[in-house]
Amino acid sequence: MEKKKKKVLVREKVRVEMPTLAEELSTVGKSKIRVDAYDKVRGKLQYGADFEYPGALVGKVLRSPHPHALIKKIDIEKAKALPGVKAVLKAKDIPGRNGFGAIIPDQPVLCGDKVRYVGDGVALIAADTEEVAVQALGLIDVEYEPLPAVFSPIDAMKPDAPKVHEGGNLLTTAKIRKGDTEKGFSESDVTLERTYTVPILEHAYIEPDVVLAIPHPDGTITVKGPMQAPFTVRRNIASILGVLINKVQCVQTPIGGGFGGKEDSPIDIGARAAVLAWKTGKPVRMEYDREEITLSTCKRHPMTIQCKLGAKKDGTFVALEGTIYNEQGAYASLGPVIPPAGGVHVHAVVMLPGPYVIPNIKVDGYLVYTNHPYGGAMRGFGAPQVNFVHESLIDELAYQLGMNPYDLRLKNCFDLGSETATGQILDQSVGLKETMVKAKEVFKWDEKWRSAPTLKELENVEKRRGIGMAVGWYRTSIGTLGDGCGVNLHLQEDGSVLLYQGLTEMGQGSCTVLSQIAAEALGVDIEDVRVVAPDTDVAPESGPTVGSRSTTLMGNAIMMAADVIKNSLFESASELLGISPCRLVAKNRRIYDREDPSRFVELKEAARRSMVTGRRMMGQGWYAPPKSSLNLETGQGSPYFVYTYSTQMAEVEVDIKTGAVEVVKITATFDIGKAINPMMVEGQIEGGVMMGLGYALMEEVIMKEGMIQNLNLQDYIIPTALDTPEIEPIYIEYPNIHGPFGAKGIGEMPNIPAAPAITNAIANAIGARIYNLPAHSERVYMTIKKRLEKGI
Amino acid sequence: MSKEKIQIEVNGKMVTLEVEPDDLLVDVLRGDLGLTGTKVGCRAGECGSCSIILNGKVVTSCLIPAMKADGGKITTIEGLEKDGKLHPLQKAFVEKGAIQCGFCTPGMLLSAKNLLDQNPDPTLEEVKIAISGVLCRCTGYQKIIHAIHVASETIRKQGV
Repeated sequence: MEKKKKKVLVREKVRVEMPTLAEELSTVGKSKIRVDAYDKVRGKLQYGADFEYPGALVGKVLRSPHPHALIKKIDIEKAKALPGVKAVLKAKDIPGRNGFGAIIPDQPVLCGDKVRYVGDGVALIAADTEEVAVQALGLIDVEYEPLPAVFSPIDAMKPDAPKVHEGGNLLTTAKIRKGDTEKGFSESDVTLERTYTVPILEHAYIEPDVVLAIPHPDGTITVKGPMQAPFTVRRNIASILGVLINKVQCVQTPIGGGFGGKEDSPIDIGARAAVLAWKTGKPVRMEYDREEITLSTCKRHPMTIQCKLGAKKDGTFVALEGTIYNEQGAYASLGPVIPPAGGVHVHAVVMLPGPYVIPNIKVDGYLVYTNHPYGGAMRGFGAPQVNFVHESLIDELAYQLGMNPYDLRLKNCFDLGSETATGQILDQSVGLKETMVKAKEVFKWDEKWRSAPTLKELENVEKRRGIGMAVGWYRTSIGTLGDGCGVNLHLQEDGSVLLYQGLTEMGQGSCTVLSQIAAEALGVDIEDVRVVAPDTDVAPESGPTVGSRSTTLMGNAIMMAADVIKNSLFESASELLGISPCRLVAKNRRIYDREDPSRFVELKEAARRSMVTGRRMMGQGWYAPPKSSLNLETGQGSPYFVYTYSTQMAEVEVDIKTGAVEVVKITATFDIGKAINPMMVEGQIEGGVMMGLGYALMEEVIMKEGMIQNLNLQDYIIPTALDTPEIEPIYIEYPNIHGPFGAKGIGEMPNIPAAPAITNAIANAIGARIYNLPAHSERVYMTIKKRLEKGI
Repeated sequence: MSKEKIQIEVNGKMVTLEVEPDDLLVDVLRGDLGLTGTKVGCRAGECGSCSIILNGKVVTSCLIPAMKADGGKITTIEGLEKDGKLHPLQKAFVEKGAIQCGFCTPGMLLSAKNLLDQNPDPTLEEVKIAISGVLCRCTGYQKIIHAIHVASETIRKQGV
C-alpha cells in the first residue's frame, strides 16, 4: 500500500512527519463491533466457570487465620479418612519448587514452616464433591504458634521489626538522583511539603477465579481458566511440578475482568489445582469465591508518600524531593524490579515527579514486606498512587502562588524535546499540552473557574460546586528486557486467516483490535480474521497482557507477519495479473495494481494460487520494543519507550453539611497516538475514569490486625450506575513512530488522573485539602469541620 | 434432605425439576437447565451478575431458593432473543459499545428489559436506578445507559 506523507500535528514546533494511511484505511480507525459482542449479549460465551468436566474433583485450599505464625503441626488424618476425599496435601507433597510468583517465587504453594498473612495456603484438598471438600477442610487440625506481626512499611523498616522473610523486610529500594535538590530548594521562592496516603485496593473483577487442571497419560497437563498472563502461569506450574515448560499447557478462557489482578491470581489457583491434579491423576476444578478472592489474591499497593516541591514566584518548578513507603505485603508478586525498569515499585518511583520538567529531583522509594495481603498489578501499576501525590501537591501550590492550576501545569509540563526526571529526552509523540488545551476548551474551564470559598461563604452554604484538574502520563509496555511478543498468521486457501498469539481478551477488546490490524495489514475484512484463544501449546510466547502493551507490541508483530504472507500473495497475484509484485496493493479483499486499480484479482484467488503452487501460507512476527534502560542507583535512563498522556477535569458538588460528594462531570482527554477502534477507546476511557472515581471517593480494603474487614461487595464498595457522572471521552492522535498505524497504549492511562482531578475539585469546593484517599463523605465532612473550627 | 418437584416456566417453556430445599435458583438454572448465561459473581446478592426476571421483577437468583420459584415465570438472558432475532436492547448493547468483558451483560440486559417493559420512556435517573443493582467494573456504565436509551427509542418506534 502506498504510504502518503502527511503532516499530522498541529503545533508549529512539531517537526515529526509521519507516514499515515489515514485517508486510505479500511478497518483501522473504525468503530468496528467487538468480535465477541453477539455471543456476550446472548449469554452464549462460555467463561471458565461455565465449562463442565465430568468426573472432575473439587479442589480447596485451607488458609491461615493468622497474619504471622509458625506452623507447629498439621494433622490431616481425619480429613483423609472422610469418604469422598481423594487427596489432602501439605508442603512436603509439592513435587517441585514450593513457591510461585510473577517475579520472585517467594510465595509457598503451601506453607510448611510459617504463614505470613491471613489467607496464606496451608493445605490442599481434592474431593468428589464441593460438600465433602468443605467438610474435609474443617477436619484438618493445624497447630499454630502466633508470632508478632507487622502491618506498616514504616514499622517494618525498624531494626527490631518482626521479620516477614528471612532476608529482612526491605525488599527493594529505588531512587532518582538528578541535579542538586538542596541547591534547588535554596533557589526556590516557595516550597510546599506534604504527606499523602493511599489505601489498599481490590480489583473487584466480577468474574471469580476458576481453573480446571487436567493431567494426561503422557505426562503433560492442561490448565484452563481465565488468565491475563498464561506464559507466566505456565512457567510457574512447570517449576512447581518439576517438569519442563513444554509439558504444561495453559489455555485461556474468556476473562470476566482482570485489571491486573488476573496476572497474579491464576498462578496461585492454577498452581494449586495443578498440584492436586498431578498427585491424584484426576482432573481438578478449583474456584475461589468472592470472599476468598478478596482475602487471598493480590491488591493495589498502599503507599505513604512524602513529597516536597520548590518553585519560583512565577511558578517555574525548581526542585522536587519525595520518599515513598510502599507496602508490599507478605509476598513479592509484581512489586520488585525486573531489570531494568519493570515492577510496580520502580515504576512508582520513576513516575512520582510527574510529567513535568524539574531540574533537581531526589526520590527514594522503599518497598517493604509486611503481614498484609500482597500488592500486585492493578490498572496503572504504581502510577495512580504517585499521580494523586504530584497532582495534589501542584494544585495546592498553585493556590498558594495565586495561580490558576491550569496555568501552573501548562507552564511546567512536558513538551516535545523535554527531559524527564530520569534524563530521558521525549523525542516523539508528546501530546500532553494538546490534551490540556482540548480539555480546557471542552470542559469550559475558564468559564467555570472560581476561587475556593472564603470561610464565610463555606459557613453559609448547603452545597457547593468545585472544579479540579489533573494530568498524567503512562508508559506503553513494561520496561523489561524480555518484552518480546510473537504471532503466527496462517493464511487459508479461501483468503481467511487464523491468528495465533498469546495476549488475552479480558474485555478491553484486544481480539477485535488485533483483528482490525491484521485485516488492514493483509487487505482482508475483519470477518476474515479469527483470533484463536491463547493456548500456550500453539501460541508463540507473547509475554503478559499488561502494561497497556497489546495493541502496540502485538500490533507490530502482526504487521510483520502480514508482510510475509503478502509477499506470497503478491507473487501469486503477479502471475495471475502479469504485473510486477512491487506494483501490487492488497485492500478490501482484492489485490490490485496501484497504477491502474481497475486491474485486480480477488485476494482469495491469490491465496488459492499460493496454496496450489506451494508458496508460503504462514507469516511469523516478532516484535520487541526499543531497549529500556535505568540505572537503579541514580534513576537515570530511558525506562519506557513511549508514553500516553492525559488531562482530566472534574466538576463536583459537595454537600457541606454531610461531606457527600457527587461527581457531576469529567472531561478526559488523551494523546493515544492512533485510535485503532474509537468506540473501544472511549470504552477504555469511561471505564478507567470510573475506576478512578472509586479510588477517589469510596474504595478501600479495611484492615484490622491483619484481617480484611470488608471481604464481600456489600462492604467493599465500588461505583454503581448511580455514581456515573457525565464523562466526555476525547482523544487526539499524535502518532507514535514505534506503533502500528501510530498507536500507543490506552488501557491504564484513564484510571490515573481521575482521582486527583476529583479531589482537587473537592478542594476547590470546600477550600481545604484531602491528603488521604478515599475522600468518602466522613473524611470530607471532617476536613470541612476542621477548616471551620480553625477559622481560616 | 428430601427432594421436591417444582414447575417453572423458563423462557416460555414449562420445566419440571426436582430440587432440595437449599438448592439456589442460580445453581438450578446453570446446573440442571444448563443456562450458563446467568453468572455468579459474589453469592451475596451484591454484584447482580445472576440477575434474572422472576414474575416481572428483577431478582438476584443467588439468594433465592429454587423452591420459591415454584409456579413462577422466569426470563434469563437466553430468553431475550426471539426466533433468532435479537431484542432491541441486545442490538443496542452490541452497536453502542456497552459491552466489555461481558460478565455483567446478562444481568444488565435483564434489568434494562424489565425497566422498559414497565416504563418504555425512562429518564436518565430511572435507567440508572434500574441497573444500579448490577455492578460493572469495565464500562463506567455510560455506554450501557446510552444503549438502553437507544433501545427504548427503537422499541417505542418499532416495537420489540
